[in-house]
Amino acid sequence: MTSDVGYSRFEALGAYLPPAIQSTPDLVASVAQVPDVPLERITGVRERRVYDPRPEAGEDSYGLALKAAEDALAHSRYQGAELDVVISTSITRFKDGDDFYFEPSFAALLAKELGAHRAIHFDLSNACAGMLSGVYLLDRMIRAGIVRNGLVVSGEQCTRVAQTAARELVDSYDPQFASLSVGDSAVAVVLDRSVDEADRIHYVDLMTSSEFSHLCLGMPSDQSEGIALYTDNKKMHNKDRLRLWPAFHGGQLAKQGSTFADEAFDYVIQHQVGTRFVDFVNQTGASEFDSEMPESLTGVEVFGNTATTSHFLVLHQHLTEGTARQGAKYLMVPAASGIVTGALSATITNLGV
Amino acid sequence: MTTVIKAATTTTAPADEAASAVLLAGRAAQDCLTEARLSPEAVGVLINVGVYRENNTFEPAIGAMVQKEAGMNLDYLAHPVPGAAAFSFDLMNGACGVLNAIQVAQALLTTGSTERVLVTAADVHPSGRAALDADYPYADLGAALLLERSAQSEGGFGRVQLAGSQSASAVAGYLPTAGMGSTGRGRITVRQDEGFAEQLLDLAAGTTLEYAKAEGIDLHRTLVVSSRPTPDFGTHLAARLGLPAFLVLTPEVPQGRTGLPHTAAPILGYLQALEQGLPADVDQFLFVAAGAGPSVACVSYRPQEGS
Repeated sequence: MTSDVGYSRFEALGAYLPPAIQSTPDLVASVAQVPDVPLERITGVRERRVYDPRPEAGEDSYGLALKAAEDALAHSRYQGAELDVVISTSITRFKDGDDFYFEPSFAALLAKELGAHRAIHFDLSNACAGMLSGVYLLDRMIRAGIVRNGLVVSGEQCTRVAQTAARELVDSYDPQFASLSVGDSAVAVVLDRSVDEADRIHYVDLMTSSEFSHLCLGMPSDQSEGIALYTDNKKMHNKDRLRLWPAFHGGQLAKQGSTFADEAFDYVIQHQVGTRFVDFVNQTGASEFDSEMPESLTGVEVFGNTATTSHFLVLHQHLTEGTARQGAKYLMVPAASGIVTGALSATITNLGV
Repeated sequence: MTTVIKAATTTTAPADEAASAVLLAGRAAQDCLTEARLSPEAVGVLINVGVYRENNTFEPAIGAMVQKEAGMNLDYLAHPVPGAAAFSFDLMNGACGVLNAIQVAQALLTTGSTERVLVTAADVHPSGRAALDADYPYADLGAALLLERSAQSEGGFGRVQLAGSQSASAVAGYLPTAGMGSTGRGRITVRQDEGFAEQLLDLAAGTTLEYAKAEGIDLHRTLVVSSRPTPDFGTHLAARLGLPAFLVLTPEVPQGRTGLPHTAAPILGYLQALEQGLPADVDQFLFVAAGAGPSVACVSYRPQEGS
């Protein structure tokens, strides 16, 4: 374990979306104290998926994650028993219905259920950058020769914070306003060693600017029964915060003697906060890099902000629908509480979806 | 290249103050940097492994808030120095967190992703007062461990091994949100199933013996530093391993504190071993952590010459 073995790659991708759809007008109608919130105009979210609360539906955070992991393994060359590591990155950690878990790790339980009996397992929590942080660690573990492959998975019951917000919101400046843009989902991705430049994670670099770590806090509500998310949206996504990504990514590229234009990305996937946010980040990137942005893939209009799963849910949707091509070079950019940003660059050619 | 301990510290909250995982971990991180005579910029990655936290906060990562307390890379735009950026996150795996983090740090250091990794382990009752909840077994306690690369090939940490079990969970910590009303920020349930200690002992002893055999470790020349899921876990583990009791150290919480150490236990145990001095003929540590899952982790550590 003394040398870097090269690169990792995306080998398989799975997803699960609850079938139930809630339209934005239906959600707005449930906001008790504020009538006619212009939610769709502000966020661009038309609808989102919502978990089924019945136990037999298996759509708590853990159940959602398990379904996505099984989907990823169905498209992978690996069986569960062949996995070397399982990393779970859910923010909302509901299991057995309404119990919010801190231990054991979801990863330990998922590994057991997937038959990954010899897998290293741990949970990783890093707000909406969870999946990309899990991929970062798994990439380094593969490159260090500690493991040969692994699974990163997340299942999110995000709409629980929307339910609390709908009960408690007092006006459109309320710190819970952003909670109305979320949706439920799960994704899982399998990584292994890259032996081909056409299937390769070129780099994944992440950074936390911790001065702003108190701008978005999630915890149980002290007003009513439920979990809540309190976001200072104005400060969280102001112009300076949006410059963190190009500043950091540009600095990393400069160290390697490269520029954004040199990277020749085919697609960019921003964190799916809302349609305007995605546009603003891309405009900021174009301006700071002095370069055209690649085609921007989104899914926020129909899935809402799905937190940790957003980048891989968008990738899954576009690959399965044929609106993004395999063989292309992708850039994923996180924007998460912490504040976390960074860049993942990958060429994807044979990804099982 | 090998991974070594540069500094280690523990912290407790003042008796008249509600404990905060962010503040305990933040203070431990600062003390660790002071002991190592390093500035906050010298650390590239912070991994927080604490499980229980004030208000049951689930976003952002507690690690990000600890990073702020420790003064690491507060604003990249204000100090856009490539290489000086820091990245933090929470790694959660019950009592095994510190050992998982050592393995992750080995990957980050081996690939040159950073020069140093700071691991923080702080658990507090969500209300900030562990002593007031008779059903909560853990102490309000924080610790930090600074890891770095060493050019010497001898010594340092060995391979980390993690083992799971097919048994039921044995230990679980959760907030039952149904019925919590508006009091969810201050409540937590820790459920220890009947026979959980036996389950953990079986898995810990089996995994330790397997690890020692695979790595060629003579347990009679090794100090086992074990987590402490029950007060007498160390005595029983020593018996299962066929070792005299003085070769298995399970850490005591600092004087005047109640409850058991949780994720901080390996760091607390390491510091208590250094304070007491290693027994005669013992020249290495074997860290063993056992907890929820059930999961057990092992890793050997041999201090380098002159460290």
